[in-house]
Amino acid sequence: MDTSTIRSIKELPPEENMLPGTAACAGCGGLLTLRYCLKALGDKIVIVNAAGCFTLLTIYPFSPFRNSWLYTAMACAPAGAQGVRDALDILIKKGKLDPEENLKVVVLSGDGSAYDMALSSTSGAIYRNLDFYYICYDNEAYGNTGFQHSGASPFGSRTGTTPPGKEVPVGSQLQKKNLFDIWNSHKPPYIATVSPAYPVDLMNKFKKAEQFKGPKLFISHIPCPPGWGFDPSRSVRLAKLSVETGLWPLKESVHGEVEHTYVPKKFKPVEEYLKEQERFSHLFKPVRQEDALKSIQEMVDEYWKKHELLP
Amino acid sequence: MLRLRFHGRGGQGAKVASRVLGTAAFLDGYNAQDFPLYGAERRGAPITAFTRISRDDIMERGLVSDPDIVIVMDETLLSDPQAMPLSGLKKGGIVFVNTPLSPLETKEEYGIEDHVITLDITKVSLDMIGKSVLSSLAAGVASRIAGIGEEALKGALEKELSGIISDRDLLGKNTEAALYCYNTLVPVQVKTAETIREKENVITLPFETARVSSPAINATGNTPLRRTGNWRVFRPVWNYDICTRCMTCVSRCPEGCIRLNEDGYPYADYDNCKGCLVCAEECPVKAITKVREIHSRSEEGDQ
Repeated sequence: MDTSTIRSIKELPPEENMLPGTAACAGCGGLLTLRYCLKALGDKIVIVNAAGCFTLLTIYPFSPFRNSWLYTAMACAPAGAQGVRDALDILIKKGKLDPEENLKVVVLSGDGSAYDMALSSTSGAIYRNLDFYYICYDNEAYGNTGFQHSGASPFGSRTGTTPPGKEVPVGSQLQKKNLFDIWNSHKPPYIATVSPAYPVDLMNKFKKAEQFKGPKLFISHIPCPPGWGFDPSRSVRLAKLSVETGLWPLKESVHGEVEHTYVPKKFKPVEEYLKEQERFSHLFKPVRQEDALKSIQEMVDEYWKKHELLP
Repeated sequence: MLRLRFHGRGGQGAKVASRVLGTAAFLDGYNAQDFPLYGAERRGAPITAFTRISRDDIMERGLVSDPDIVIVMDETLLSDPQAMPLSGLKKGGIVFVNTPLSPLETKEEYGIEDHVITLDITKVSLDMIGKSVLSSLAAGVASRIAGIGEEALKGALEKELSGIISDRDLLGKNTEAALYCYNTLVPVQVKTAETIREKENVITLPFETARVSSPAINATGNTPLRRTGNWRVFRPVWNYDICTRCMTCVSRCPEGCIRLNEDGYPYADYDNCKGCLVCAEECPVKAITKVREIHSRSEEGDQ
């Protein structure tokens, strides 16, 4: 195992394990995350893909991957991963597969699957200490089918099913689920939050995760140009803003112990992040919804106060 | 009855265009039908939308397979085997193409023998609205060709767009741009025969076993063959005098289609660059500029 840490983007491995020509939207933040993840994981992997945006990456007869790919329904990717893992283990044990040819099992899912439908099968997989990687690309709604509300949609956002109106001008009234804490309460060996704007942090987390046997879970907050409503060129900028405003804390947990891997020296106001997106535009015009904006900022401040990291 | 078919890419507004046209026809006293067809939604994928307009009751249902008018909102679709915008077009039918080329040049470029009308509505959209969203403009074009009145078009734009656009200013710009397109085009008489044009390029494949017909099932990493570069409105262009070879663009490209040349300078694989321009936005020294893509003229430059 290579334990050397990467310090700059110049040191990112040059190998590309995902090729261009995918059906993903221009400027897809999830695709950028996946590209980095596959650089870290290498090509000796099996991807177990839950239904979602990334279903569209592999459309017969095309595949952008250099590795195998298995497609499952939204609720059962971790169960599919268990089957693949078991099959590999049995083949190796029986001597039918050279241990050299062993593969890493990787679940790839969107937030709809990870936060909502597959939560029970994920819980089961962590509980059984299944040796796998889980990557959730979280664009905070069901992006593939028209951006409907999911368990990951944040308070105050407009989604396909929570449009701001006369009765409820704020859009979504619900708070985003805290998937990191839900996973962490299972005490798996490794969990991390990552961002496509911080590839060095992302790569090093994957490197660190390699040493653990058992569930290794990653949640990546990713900008979605059509869903969030911004120009595709601003994708990385928005991913960066979500971290710099404190909305998306970059952290990891080893056997339940949480540590933040990046704390902004000076937090930007969340408004800077919100005002760049169409899905929050109703908070600013025709009238500024001061209460909603204030409560979003307070929610962020409270988080960092709780962890005693607010400067 | 007039049957129209819109061909666009996800995000361009083909669905809304057909809807505005349907409403405009209705406001002008016709019966109308409009509906889109798309698979799994995503930006950039070919989509189709349909409108039927008639003085009489419309009893016909389903896809429009033999249109009188075809509106091509993205000219790269003309050579896309998945979209095939001209298939089923009736003799004497009209093809509108969104391109900077003249009708004659378009006919030559794409080998079209039918009546071709062209207008660079992407340019109109960029100039008048500030971004490349073509729904209202394509509706304006289609209304003109279908012979719908200007007042009806205005009414339809107000009715349909006010439900989608909350910004009154933006709605005004859209209406203005649509009317500009409407008034730029010369009115035409649509006189189609009931027979379908002779030049039909549907390919029929003989039955083969899976091993022969689908050898790609075991292929890996073959998506570059799809050449998604035709999704671009703008292309990134590097200025090597300024470039510091910092690798930022190579690292930040979501598709991973920026590579390094022998001297370590980055260049894009234009076959697959979708033109998101994250590279230009992230470049610390601003060595990347965005240049409007003219697909029909860029082919030779690419090779």
